[in-house]
Amino acid sequence: MSPGKYLRKNSFYFIILAPAVILMAWLTLYPVIEVIGLSFYRYNFITGAKTFVGLGNFIQLLQERLFQEAFRNTLIFSVTATAAEVTLGIILALIFEGQFAGKKTFMTIAIFPMMISTMVICAVWKTLYHYDIGLLNYILKTAGSEPVGWLISQKNALFSVVLVDIWQWTPFAFLMTQAAMSSIPYETYEAASIDGARYHQSVFRITLPIISSQILLVIMLRTIDTFKLFGKVYALTQGGPGNATETLSYYIYREGFSYFNLGRASTASLLTLVVVAGISLVYIRRILKGDA
Amino acid sequence: MSAVKQKGTNPLFWLILALTLVVILFPVYWIVATSLKTPLEVIQPNPTLFPRIFTLENYQTVLQSGFLKNMGNSLIVAVSATLLSLTLSFLAAYALLRFRFPLAFNSIFLVWILVVKILPPVVLAIPLYTMFNSLGLINRLLGLVLVYQVYTLPYCIWMIFGFLKAVPITFEEAALIDGAGRGYILFHIVMPLARTGIIATSIFSIIAAWDEFLFALLFIRTPSLQTLPLVIVNYIGEYETMWGQLMGIGLLTTLPVLLFSSFVYKYYTKGFSMSLK
Repeated sequence: MSPGKYLRKNSFYFIILAPAVILMAWLTLYPVIEVIGLSFYRYNFITGAKTFVGLGNFIQLLQERLFQEAFRNTLIFSVTATAAEVTLGIILALIFEGQFAGKKTFMTIAIFPMMISTMVICAVWKTLYHYDIGLLNYILKTAGSEPVGWLISQKNALFSVVLVDIWQWTPFAFLMTQAAMSSIPYETYEAASIDGARYHQSVFRITLPIISSQILLVIMLRTIDTFKLFGKVYALTQGGPGNATETLSYYIYREGFSYFNLGRASTASLLTLVVVAGISLVYIRRILKGDA
Repeated sequence: MSAVKQKGTNPLFWLILALTLVVILFPVYWIVATSLKTPLEVIQPNPTLFPRIFTLENYQTVLQSGFLKNMGNSLIVAVSATLLSLTLSFLAAYALLRFRFPLAFNSIFLVWILVVKILPPVVLAIPLYTMFNSLGLINRLLGLVLVYQVYTLPYCIWMIFGFLKAVPITFEEAALIDGAGRGYILFHIVMPLARTGIIATSIFSIIAAWDEFLFALLFIRTPSLQTLPLVIVNYIGEYETMWGQLMGIGLLTTLPVLLFSSFVYKYYTKGFSMSLK
């Protein structure tokens, strides 16, 4: 078949796919190319000065303390939040497995946290965390302990942001694990209990191995999402105190939209992109395998 | 399993259940309670569990401050962005499913949008800002609708691709034999069959757009054009202890979304297992 005839015969499919492809190319492909180009320049948007510096930005950023801290904080946040959410989610799913009175209502309530707008969640936690008039410190003081600087101490701030993320997203890990568990046929457990398996044996030898691929999926989805951390930091701590909650996204935002160093911001974006791509490689490969 | 059978009678189980509910619901309760307190009661060093004096004055102030306008903005942006994404992704997903494009483009495109879904959006922010600025789309709701396609389009394509896969091809073949046009088949046969999936996808997409913060922060300058997340962040920053009003805004922002809750529960795992397994 000649190319012209081929196109004419299948034009319907080309026409209906085109709008999505064009929009995606405009919104993502072009910006990524632009970011790659800009990352080799020292370019300030306000002064308009633009000089080619080669790998200069990369060398500078990798040696810069603030960037290193942003990277470290992002990693700590991502790993601790994901680990806590998945662990808690699995424990809750094991506890609330099977049927009990009011289960459907319970499950509907259990997903509230992940449906509430992130900014509303930040707002309420900000009031709970407040040093002088927050509820958490009031409880601590009533119990005779010293008040804690949840968001204002360098030591605690990142941990406090992690806690908010745990509250918001453990339901997701719980829901996904729960769904995976409910697809295990009951006979599997019956056979095990006839063979004399104890509860913890059936959990570690049957349940968890069977749903391990779904758990891995949840781990990857949470890692990817926590790596983007921006809104919570903006609302709760603005990167502070000091640089205690500076994250990669926040660093790029400040470098680009407060200092207008578009070159450096692009370099930071590119470095982030490379790290994220590395993390998600496993994920993408798995999805493709399932798709093929 | 013995542990399962004992569930109904074991008091420890109900204790854990109650504790879990308290952890989940307390912040929600705190939003409601704080929004009903007077400004003076909110800044007491001893927080009260129940409002001592119930007042609706926070809601009054919030509603008079142009909040409904902002809610309208959020609604317009979320619904328009979702409608645009749904239309494009329904067409694209169908093409990707029923036709093998040359050069393995089907797989390339699906991986490409997957990578976009994974990327921190701030990575694209600088070039997007410059592009939208030169087109005069900064500080306009239309700009937000377009830029939100970065989130909603990849998401909708993957979801609808998953749902369409479950639609049997036999109906289409039968219709084709009867002489139906391709457009007719697409909108009168395939679309009704994938209806529930499309509805589920649209609700998640609306929630995502309703919640979006980064691009709203970067693209919108005028207060009357702000979406709800921006309004809330500004409250947190500017009026450090106007918590009553802040929580009032929070509750009004949250209620419309919570109404979808049981629906979301029904479709959440389904959507994920379909598009992501």
